[in-house]
Amino acid sequence: MAARRIVPLLVIGFFCVADADSAGADAESPAWLELQREASGQTVYFNAWGGDLAINRYIEWAAERVRERHGVHLVHVKVTDIAESVSRIMAERVAGRDADGSVDLLWINGENFAALKEAGLLWGPWTGRLPNAALIDWRGNPTLLIDVTLPTEGFELPWGTSTFTLFYDRSTAPTRSQSAPRNPAALLAWIEAYPGRFTYPQPPAFLGTAFLKQMLLLLTDDAHRLQRPAGEDFDEVSAPLWVWLDRAHARMWRRGRLFPRSGPAQRELLAVGELHWMMSYNPAEASRAIRQGELHETIGALHLEGGALANSHFLAIPYNAGSKAGAMLIADFLISPEAQARKSDEDVWGDPSVLNVEDLAAADRMLFESLARGAATPSPPARLLPEPHPSWAILLEREWLERYVR
Amino acid sequence: MRRPSVLILLAVSVVPTFAGLAAALWFGLDAAGFMRVLDTPGIGLSLASSVWTGAAATLLSLVLAHLAVAVSVTGGWRRRLNAFSLPLLAMPHLAIGIGLALVLAPSGLLLRLLSPWATGFTEPPDWLSVQDPYGLSLIAGLIVKETPFLVLVLFAALPQVPAERLMLQARSLGYGRLKGWMVAVAPLLQVQIRLPLAAVLVFGLTNVEMAIPLGPDLPPTFSVVLWRWFIDADPAIHAQAFTGTLVLLFVTVLAVFIASRLARLIAVLWRRWAESGSRLRGERAVRGALDATLGGVWSLGILALVAILLRSVSGPWRFPDILPDSGELSTWSAVLPVAGNVAETTILLAAATAVAGVILVLPAAERLRHDAALGRKLGAWLFLPLLLPQMTFLFGVQVLLVYLGLDGTFAAVLWSHLIFALPYLWGVLAPARAAIDPRYLAVARTLGAGPVRAWTTSTAPLMLRSMLLAMALAFSVSIALYLPSLFAGAGRIATAATEAAAAAGSGTLRLAAVHAILLAVLPLAAFGAAYAAGAAVFRNRREVPR
Amino acid sequence: MTASMYALTVRQVRLRVSGEALFAPLDLHVPAGTVTSVIGPSGSGKSSLLAFLCGTLTPEFEAEGCVLLGDDDISELPPEKRGLGILFQEPLLFPHLSVRGNLLFGLRADGGRRARHRIADRELDSMGLAGFGDRDPATLSGGQKARVALLRVLLAKPRALLLDEPFSALDDANRAKVRQLVYEEIRRRKLPTLLVTHDENDTAHAAGPVVALTPP
Repeated sequence: MAARRIVPLLVIGFFCVADADSAGADAESPAWLELQREASGQTVYFNAWGGDLAINRYIEWAAERVRERHGVHLVHVKVTDIAESVSRIMAERVAGRDADGSVDLLWINGENFAALKEAGLLWGPWTGRLPNAALIDWRGNPTLLIDVTLPTEGFELPWGTSTFTLFYDRSTAPTRSQSAPRNPAALLAWIEAYPGRFTYPQPPAFLGTAFLKQMLLLLTDDAHRLQRPAGEDFDEVSAPLWVWLDRAHARMWRRGRLFPRSGPAQRELLAVGELHWMMSYNPAEASRAIRQGELHETIGALHLEGGALANSHFLAIPYNAGSKAGAMLIADFLISPEAQARKSDEDVWGDPSVLNVEDLAAADRMLFESLARGAATPSPPARLLPEPHPSWAILLEREWLERYVR
Repeated sequence: MRRPSVLILLAVSVVPTFAGLAAALWFGLDAAGFMRVLDTPGIGLSLASSVWTGAAATLLSLVLAHLAVAVSVTGGWRRRLNAFSLPLLAMPHLAIGIGLALVLAPSGLLLRLLSPWATGFTEPPDWLSVQDPYGLSLIAGLIVKETPFLVLVLFAALPQVPAERLMLQARSLGYGRLKGWMVAVAPLLQVQIRLPLAAVLVFGLTNVEMAIPLGPDLPPTFSVVLWRWFIDADPAIHAQAFTGTLVLLFVTVLAVFIASRLARLIAVLWRRWAESGSRLRGERAVRGALDATLGGVWSLGILALVAILLRSVSGPWRFPDILPDSGELSTWSAVLPVAGNVAETTILLAAATAVAGVILVLPAAERLRHDAALGRKLGAWLFLPLLLPQMTFLFGVQVLLVYLGLDGTFAAVLWSHLIFALPYLWGVLAPARAAIDPRYLAVARTLGAGPVRAWTTSTAPLMLRSMLLAMALAFSVSIALYLPSLFAGAGRIATAATEAAAAAGSGTLRLAAVHAILLAVLPLAAFGAAYAAGAAVFRNRREVPR
Repeated sequence: MTASMYALTVRQVRLRVSGEALFAPLDLHVPAGTVTSVIGPSGSGKSSLLAFLCGTLTPEFEAEGCVLLGDDDISELPPEKRGLGILFQEPLLFPHLSVRGNLLFGLRADGGRRARHRIADRELDSMGLAGFGDRDPATLSGGQKARVALLRVLLAKPRALLLDEPFSALDDANRAKVRQLVYEEIRRRKLPTLLVTHDENDTAHAAGPVVALTPP
């Protein structure tokens, strides 16, 4: 993997927590064997977003494996927004259901993690007890330890990584790869030169907000400021973003009077030729879509110079989970080289791995190296930009609505 | 308690409606909540666009429907108009909305058919033709659905009016067919259809089914704002939706009131027009324009269906190709297992609605067969839920279901569907029962049959065709229902409508199209099956009522 | 009001349903200001003949022959262009219009609203219905309704009149009065008139030729 420059603040955060929980346990240790015995026969309710067929199928595959090997029953509770599960756990606390809760394992990150952790509703730290935790690329990727400015402290286990990536149609005259814009100024120049072919999903849709954060990180003078909660200086710090957006909207798709409602909606618009651009947190999204016959083969990808907005997504166990051993066993399987390699397979899901592939045993490394990377998947970005403090996203969304809903 | 069958009907339909309304008021009346609702950016524009699109679509549909009935009845092509209406009536709002979004978008079917040979476009133009801020595409969508509905309602009212003789009188006084009908017959029909027309207006103002795929964004119509709040996971925003539905109720009641005042004013102007004595010239041109408009409305509906079919199977589909280039079935193969489960739930629910509905309605129809006045009164009560914004009382119903521990169950969703199917079932079955000559039953009884055997051997066969039609109708109503499934199902019961709406809500029209196929095809199949079954059973019987 | 100067002529009219003729070929000549009566038992084709004259015959009929007003052949004109006024058994006043509204509906469009109202009120006055202009037609007696219906037809200035058993729904007292009124107006306005009826009294008072529809 290419070396990455890391924002200094995160390096500090990394060393603070790295020793505590990232070491990983021995798979033959009595404690782990005991846990396996305890887990056998348990049913684990895995609350995870169910909006993507490929992901649902992947979870089904994992469920079969852990049942065959460990006798653990994984039930995928498909939620439309993990915040639903967060509210349910909070409701259970209020109702006094402190054991045998309805959620055993959650797919989570960012503000939902912050909410549960601050309320003391997560069990842990537990990630250090997993044998496979030792394989994680703790040093290479700071977002594995700091989840949207909040240290994970062993309460959640990295499952996959996300990198904000732009995709464009190489077959359309203006966007031949050499001239593809790679910084905000060049992107604005492109939008003004070829009106009507660029847009972004409408905030507060997940990817739309991500685009605002990505552009703000590149446009502001002081990116470090965004790591701390937003305050009085919000207007001042965010000003360059609004200047950029005001100019871009005037020449964007539908002149900025209509926006795609989600990332997938934007992808459909690219597929029918209305747009020349789309964006995703998953660098392999276009390659996967091309293989599944949803996009043309002329799609290319790029990360903007100055760094790609990045975060990770995690697995966490609620304080009142009834099947903690089963949940840990499943989590350990989900970060095994076998499961992680399959997850990064663009034919399956295409979600980048959290493991340090270079240090894996040869056979495990082969699992990853045999995977073909699609032409529309970019090489990892030169620099990762960590997510701003969550308060920024909230204020950006509010300000965006105030400005553009008129 | 002399009429238990009638009371049961009211208990299933009217009681929960009022209970829901009461619960919505109880939980939604909250001053701070109102302030939060009114503080939402763009909320004024949202309300205005709800009122504008609902009112404009209702008025235009009404005018088109009256003109269509006038021209078809006086021109002798009433059957053709019926044939025209049926497919548009059978397809749910949601399916037509999704289909029209796929037809009218700059990259949609319509421009593909014309490009590049006629338009010169090799790339889709950057037009706001769908989801335009003025709501024009939403209005067009509503017209495609509401015009055929109002045509059907007008036809149903026609036997109450001596139309033929009034027309002869008007024409002998020197009036052409169009003006003669519009001033001599249409006002009498108009009086008869006030209730269904109010339902159309209320639906236009409060629907999400058309507004999600076709309505404006930035801001969306008010009902879509409420819908987004409702499905938001944040409890604070969810609570805001409660207060919002009361605002919606207030606006709706106000709009219906203003519309009724406006109707009086129009009636006065209409009489002035009748009394002006002017014999309209250029009727031929008007009829030509009308034929073209109706043809356009119909073509849009049919194109919507074609677009749904094409889009659901397509891979990448670059403009201006008329057909998708890789006719791969990849989406289908990916979606089919899921769609299979959804189809099962959808069909089961619709069939249960049809069967339970007929079982509930038949005894009451039997009981009231000689009491036309009471029958009409019951019909009006059953119609009540169609005159309220669905969201307002469904919100309350949902709270009650949670309280009873019934939310998210099949039974709860079935119940919510029955509320909306009963008025249609009553509308078909009550007149059919009343029309049967009582002497048939008397003959059966004197021949020695007991009451049950007499009913099954004489009344039931004579009503079979109506029952089949009623069941097809209830089946289709159930297929089309979205908000009731969402609210009573607590997001846990997935039907074709909930899936299609969710996909359309996130803008993924292709996934929406896959579910919209079920929405469009199942009602058509149900009506087809009902007609075919009726025809097969009575293929050698000419006088069995249709 | 200008008097009509036309005669109504019916020439060699035959009506057939699926090839079968309803009556023998019919020839009539009705001079202006006179009434010709057509009688026949029910089913003899009286109403079909009226429909043919009005131009509202349904397509299952085949028709031959022509209808002339003066020298104009009106057989191919649409109903509203024929200039034939018709009075039915029921007065068929439009229930959503006032009495005056019904008359204004008949009155040809010219002059302002106020002038038209004056004409309507004057005509009501002349029929002994002064002050009835704003009444709901439903509140009128049978005889009053019949008079309003007659006025309405006359205000449309027809060139000929067709009467479809117009007096049969009235009670005895009213029938004679209305009948007299109608025949007076016909003579005064010199309208050629065709009366279709099975009531011998109607034909007797019409004082014109009586033609019986006979099977072919």
